[in-house]
Amino acid sequence: MLRSCTAALRTLRALRGRREGASPAARDPVLARRWFSTEKVIPKDHALPNPSWSKDLRLLFDQFMKKCEDGSWERLPSYKNSKLVKEQLSQAQLFTRGYEDGLGFEYVIFYNDDEKRTVCLFQGGPYLQGVPGFLHGGAIATMIDATVGMCAAIPGGIVMTANLNINFKRPIPLCSVVVINSQLDKIEGRKLFLSCNVRSVDEKILYSEATGLFIKLDPEKSLT
Amino acid sequence: MPKQHLPPPQVLGGTLDQPQGAAEKGSLASLLQPCQPQSQRSATIRRGFQVAARRGHHGALAGGPYILPRFSPASAFGSSTDSLVSRFCQEKTDLKNYTLPNASWCPDMLNLYHEFLEKTKADGWIRLPSFKSNRNHIQGLKLPLALTVTSDKSDCRIFTRCIKMEGQGYEYGIFFHPSKKSVCLFQPGPSLEGPPRFAHGGSLAAMIDETFSETAYLAGEGLFTLNLSIRFKNLIRVGSLAVLNVDVEKIEDQKLYISCVAQSADRQTVYAKASGTFLQLQLEEDSSQY
Repeated sequence: MLRSCTAALRTLRALRGRREGASPAARDPVLARRWFSTEKVIPKDHALPNPSWSKDLRLLFDQFMKKCEDGSWERLPSYKNSKLVKEQLSQAQLFTRGYEDGLGFEYVIFYNDDEKRTVCLFQGGPYLQGVPGFLHGGAIATMIDATVGMCAAIPGGIVMTANLNINFKRPIPLCSVVVINSQLDKIEGRKLFLSCNVRSVDEKILYSEATGLFIKLDPEKSLT
Repeated sequence: MPKQHLPPPQVLGGTLDQPQGAAEKGSLASLLQPCQPQSQRSATIRRGFQVAARRGHHGALAGGPYILPRFSPASAFGSSTDSLVSRFCQEKTDLKNYTLPNASWCPDMLNLYHEFLEKTKADGWIRLPSFKSNRNHIQGLKLPLALTVTSDKSDCRIFTRCIKMEGQGYEYGIFFHPSKKSVCLFQPGPSLEGPPRFAHGGSLAAMIDETFSETAYLAGEGLFTLNLSIRFKNLIRVGSLAVLNVDVEKIEDQKLYISCVAQSADRQTVYAKASGTFLQLQLEEDSSQY
């Protein structure tokens, strides 16, 4: 989750740069050359439609992309491996992106900086099964953690999950699309309090509700 | 297992005596309402619940849609832990069992695994097999009708066995004790990364939920997670062992209350503490399989 946060923050800064004018890389040709020279392959952004996305997911995606046009919402790109990690384990990849299209987690996260909230459009595939025919509680917990974590990372920087409390109201059928809404409730020093709900596309069914506590990490200290 | 007669269908609990609108959002009644409002069948079942509420909860509904049976541990179909375990473990099966050591298991994991294997001989511990899908663990049984979903893709995998390569994803083995506790030996692989070189919080949440769910099922037919609460203390390094000690605290009001402490093999580091609540629900015989 930390890795996705740092990747997201970098993207955020680049996006902001684009809004204000040319990005730092474009303004400084030397920097641009150095940046591009380390990247021989353009990493795939998984937060974009692919053939496994259902109609519901595509429609929602289009709706949110429209909301992005006036700058109030931003789409977060999502990569399998973090570009920031220098010594990468060759087999390591972000947990939620290690599946073939459509089999595992298909999702895209949008955030609204003014309202301090994130929305995740999530379609859980057949490899995320728990009780036959339904999504595994742990898969839902993972997506809630990812969405709430992103909501915490935007104001908070590098954060770590301290508490996660999820109430499951109804089981989510496998391969259906749900919308995960997360918002920042308050900040107390290094603690960020957030809440979240998981609803159906038409908002009529409430599948789960959750609250989370995230802690801002000191970037100087190591993780252990 | 001999065929049992199902108890006559009864409206579930007292909550359905209230008019439809009064059912709390978090109540069992609302949980059991179908989650596919578009289908004709769901509308019929919903009307069925409303009818049942008006009629009160005495006696069976003649000719009405199937209502979930009241959970009754003493009923003919209410199963003892022994029968649940033997059904779950599927002794005579060709299915691949993932709870067997492989080359990716670290020394800590191998040692503890063998320690618990010894305990299965003398102390009553049971090594639980782990198949590709939970459906394999309940052969001959199925979910109550109201909860059967129409999309039934055959290539479904349980979330914790989704990554096929040895050592890459979840490596785990669960040992259950009939005194309603269990131990899970969990080694997260590189595909479960979150922060660089450490396991994603979500992967631990999934492992805790899966251990809870198997324990709840065997201890008392707990089926769906109602609540999961996790307090993360420390990160787990990829490739190292986490030991999850799980206990069923109590069973009341059709709910199982269960808790867990996840720590390192030497017990010096606590990774997380968690608690959960599960809904008890009886599976039905699946006559279509015979």
